[in-house]
Amino acid sequence: MNAIEIKGLTKSFRGMYALNGLNMKVPVGSIYGFIGENGSGKSTTEKLICGHLVKDSGTIKLFGKDYTDPGVRVRVGALIENAGCFPGASIYMNLKMQCLNLGIENADEEIDRVLKIVRMEEHRELKFKKCSLGMKQRVGIAMALLGSPALLILDEPINGLDTDGMRIMREILVDITQNYNCTVLISSHILGELEKIATHYGIIRQGKMVQELSAEEMEARARIFVSLKVADMQGAKKLLDKQFKNVREEDGYLRVYDEENTEAIVEFLISKGHIPSEIKKNKVGLEEYYIELMSKKESA
Amino acid sequence: MEKSKELKFESPSFITRIKGMLSVDFYRLFHTPLFYIFIAIAAIIPAMIIGTTGMDSSQTAALFTNTWQAIAVEKPLYVVENIGQYANMNMVFIFGGIMVSIFIGHDYKSGYVKQLFTTHAKKQDYMISKTIISAFSMVCMCGTYLVGTILAGALVGLSFRVNAGSLICAILGKMIMSLGWASLYTFLNIIFRKLFAAGVASSFFFGTGILIIGVAAILPGNPSILNMFLYGSSVYACLSSNFVSVLVCILCSVGWSIFYNALGTYILNNSDVY
Repeated sequence: MNAIEIKGLTKSFRGMYALNGLNMKVPVGSIYGFIGENGSGKSTTEKLICGHLVKDSGTIKLFGKDYTDPGVRVRVGALIENAGCFPGASIYMNLKMQCLNLGIENADEEIDRVLKIVRMEEHRELKFKKCSLGMKQRVGIAMALLGSPALLILDEPINGLDTDGMRIMREILVDITQNYNCTVLISSHILGELEKIATHYGIIRQGKMVQELSAEEMEARARIFVSLKVADMQGAKKLLDKQFKNVREEDGYLRVYDEENTEAIVEFLISKGHIPSEIKKNKVGLEEYYIELMSKKESA
Repeated sequence: MEKSKELKFESPSFITRIKGMLSVDFYRLFHTPLFYIFIAIAAIIPAMIIGTTGMDSSQTAALFTNTWQAIAVEKPLYVVENIGQYANMNMVFIFGGIMVSIFIGHDYKSGYVKQLFTTHAKKQDYMISKTIISAFSMVCMCGTYLVGTILAGALVGLSFRVNAGSLICAILGKMIMSLGWASLYTFLNIIFRKLFAAGVASSFFFGTGILIIGVAAILPGNPSILNMFLYGSSVYACLSSNFVSVLVCILCSVGWSIFYNALGTYILNNSDVY
């Protein structure tokens, strides 16, 4: 079963299509990394799933039911743009209000539970406006976690966080999917971070899904390359071009793509009088994969 | 501690949903200093009215000769002829409107409304809950207004002579009309949900009853049909009220509430939240 299944979703703002026949499938229990450039339709999709926007056409199903079904909606948590808290109220009060809305009986226990997950238990009486950006994001997650949601929708939750904040957020997300049977849809521009936690990816461009793939598929498609540094980069590149299919000069390195045999490359260069000062074997990451896919679409 | 939950989806009933929404709104209302400020303002208004219009001065005669004139006018009123006719418990509805605007405005400004609509809360639940909570706060304001009136009347030394039955009917009528006014303000602030200042301005404009006063002023004779409108039925709750007046207020209040709630729900269901 899919946690989210979208078919032919369209949404326009004043005649401009933000989503144009979007199809999407988010498997239950996955951490679905939703990727796309600014204005590609990520936030619009998330807002539509959350019922904040009215769709023009198409269908949205959550766990096989219509997305407006209150039975499903009560198990959805979201952090879209901001935490949606009253700035003058304390963290506890904000969470308490959402507990009341959700009809949670043991509100205080539930608040303690979610604050512990987001590591904010010591700050429950702090006013929301006094929280740092990272704390606000974590309060937003705590708010979304109330009532043990089956689906969590997070729009750029790691934006503006420092390295430690990102690490904490990453650990929280892995924890809730592994231990709380929760599916997570997360959009982010920080692909390096997303790559560390996502089990599935959806790449959106101009309101249409370009590609959906699992982390395993991504891994299988990931290209291997060897990075080298030599004194005469141009000369070495000319030689490598004759011997290997895909050689590029990128980021101050000579990169030989789709070649696993590092020794063969090094031996070849040495035999031609080029001594490498640096040798690295890498895999194309999500970021490079995404850039390549986008540039292909651009040229098409 | 529960570590995981099965994927079970049970639809909460309307009662469960509305109970949840009302609990949030009441919790918020009682934790909002603004509510207590407006309640205090409602108590001060009659003191100011009676203090400034209930005493003779060297130039002017007293506009109020009886304490209960600060609660309601003597007869149903269509055209305001002097400030004394205007200044009564109806002023609570003006301040109530501003309070509703701020209350709903903050839902949107803070983004809290997103939390509500992401979960099981329906737009209809939101409209109903906001209307009830707004009506409740206006009834509270009517209560403190009444206390303020009695204290101010006693301090100034105005007469308290009145037909008790009519007075009770008038006060009840005004309190009942709070529901109608609350639904109007909720509706207006849903329309102007993206423009906070416009929401406050519209509440003030409608709260003062300028619209109905204006219509009444240009209509010939005694336009009793205006009693069916919000402002008309509010002033119908006067010191000559009886059981029928209360019934008119109930019908108008409930009728307008259903109308404005249905309209507001339709707008919310068919337009983006923000």
